[in-house]
Amino acid sequence: MKLPLPEIRHDRDSFEALAYLHAQTRECFLDDVEIDMKETSWFDADMCAAFGAILYSLGENLNTVNLVNLHPSVEKVLSKNGFLSHYGRVKLPDRWGTTISYQRFDVKDDRYFSGYIEDEFIQRSEMPAMSPGLLKKFRESIFEIFSNAVWHSRTKLGIFSCGQFFPSRNRLDFTVADLGVGIRQNVQDHVGHDLSPEKAIDWATQGNNTTKQGDVPGGLGLKLLCEFIDLNGGCLRIASDAGYWCRERKETTLARLSHPFPGTVASVEINTADRSSYRLASELNAKDIF
Amino acid sequence: MKESVRISVFEVVGSPLCVASNDGQRVFERLAAAVQEGRNVALSFHNVDTLTSAFLNAAIGQLYGKFSEEHIRSVVQVEDMAPDDLVLLKRVVDTAKQYFKDPPRFEQVIRETMEDQDDAV
Repeated sequence: MKLPLPEIRHDRDSFEALAYLHAQTRECFLDDVEIDMKETSWFDADMCAAFGAILYSLGENLNTVNLVNLHPSVEKVLSKNGFLSHYGRVKLPDRWGTTISYQRFDVKDDRYFSGYIEDEFIQRSEMPAMSPGLLKKFRESIFEIFSNAVWHSRTKLGIFSCGQFFPSRNRLDFTVADLGVGIRQNVQDHVGHDLSPEKAIDWATQGNNTTKQGDVPGGLGLKLLCEFIDLNGGCLRIASDAGYWCRERKETTLARLSHPFPGTVASVEINTADRSSYRLASELNAKDIF
Repeated sequence: MKESVRISVFEVVGSPLCVASNDGQRVFERLAAAVQEGRNVALSFHNVDTLTSAFLNAAIGQLYGKFSEEHIRSVVQVEDMAPDDLVLLKRVVDTAKQYFKDPPRFEQVIRETMEDQDDAV
C-alpha cells in the first residue's frame, strides 16, 4: 500500500490529512505501508508527535512502515529531532539546537517526561531567552497537557511529543499526542453527555468541566492553558476524534474533521518574546487559601 | 496538645517538579493521615519550582472529599509557596470545594455550558 502525504503544518488541513492517513490504514495488518512524502515539501517538526502516533499504531498491527521520497530539507529536520531514527535513518546532530526531540512515553513515564522537559528546555543554552515567568508558565502548560493525556486518554500505546523552536519568528511549538479514547468518548463515558467531537473539546476547556469522577477533582488544566495562551499571544490547537478546536487571539474556532484522529493531539505555540510578568496585581495570603 | 506535623512536598516527591497526579497522591496520603490524626499540618513547598493543577488536585483538592472545609482550614497551613503558585492552589481549592460540596450545582454548571454552546452554534 502506498499513500501520499501532503505538507504538514499546524492547521486544520494537516490534521485532516493525518486523520485521513489513519482512516486509510486502520484496517492494515501485516502489511507494507509506504508513505510517499514527495508532496511533503514542508513538515512542522512538532507535528511528528501526531504523525508518529499514527505510524506507531500501524506498527502495533505488525505493519512495516516506510517513508519514501522525502525532501532533503524535511529529511534533515526529521533526522535532527530523532523522528526518522524510528524509521531506519540515522539521527543527525542539531547544530543550531532548534529541535526538541521526538519521544514516546508510557503513561507511567511521568518522571522520565519531566527529565525530558528539563533537558530540552532548561539545560540548553540554545533556547531563547524567555523571561523566568514565561518559562515557568510554559513548563507548567506542557506538564498540564501531559497530565491531561495521562489521565484522560486511557491509552496503552503511550504518549508522543515533539517540538521545534523558530528563532527568527520568536515562536516555540510543542505538540503532545496520544492514541487514547479521545475527549468526546471521555465526556460521554464519564459525564453522560453526547456532544459532537468539536463541542466536546470546547466543553473540556471550560473551567468547571471535568470528566473525572470519584475522589480527585479536576477540570482546570485546559482552562489554565487557554488563559496562558491568551496572555502570551500564542495559539493552542486540539484535534480529538473528528473534532478540531483552535484558540488564537482570544478567539475559538471549532471545526469537524472528515475522519477521526485516533486519540487526541494538543499543539501549543508560544511567543517566546513575550515579556509579560505573569504576576497578579494583588498577591494572595497563604492563610486565605482554604 | 498534639504536636504539629511538617510535610515537605519536595521530600515526598523527591523533585522540584511536582507535576504528576500520582506524586500528588503520595502527598495526599501523608497529609490526610496527619489530618485524620487530628494534627496541625504545615505543608511546605520549599524548593518546589513547578506545579500543575493535576498534582494539586490529587495532593490537596481531594482533602475536600474527606474532611470538612472548616476542619481543613483550621489544621492545614501552606508554607514556602511562590505567590503565583498560591493563585493556582486557590483555584484548585475553589474548584474542589465546588466539586465535592455541591454536586447538583456542578451538574447545573455543566448543563448551562452545554445550553450556551447549543445557542451559540
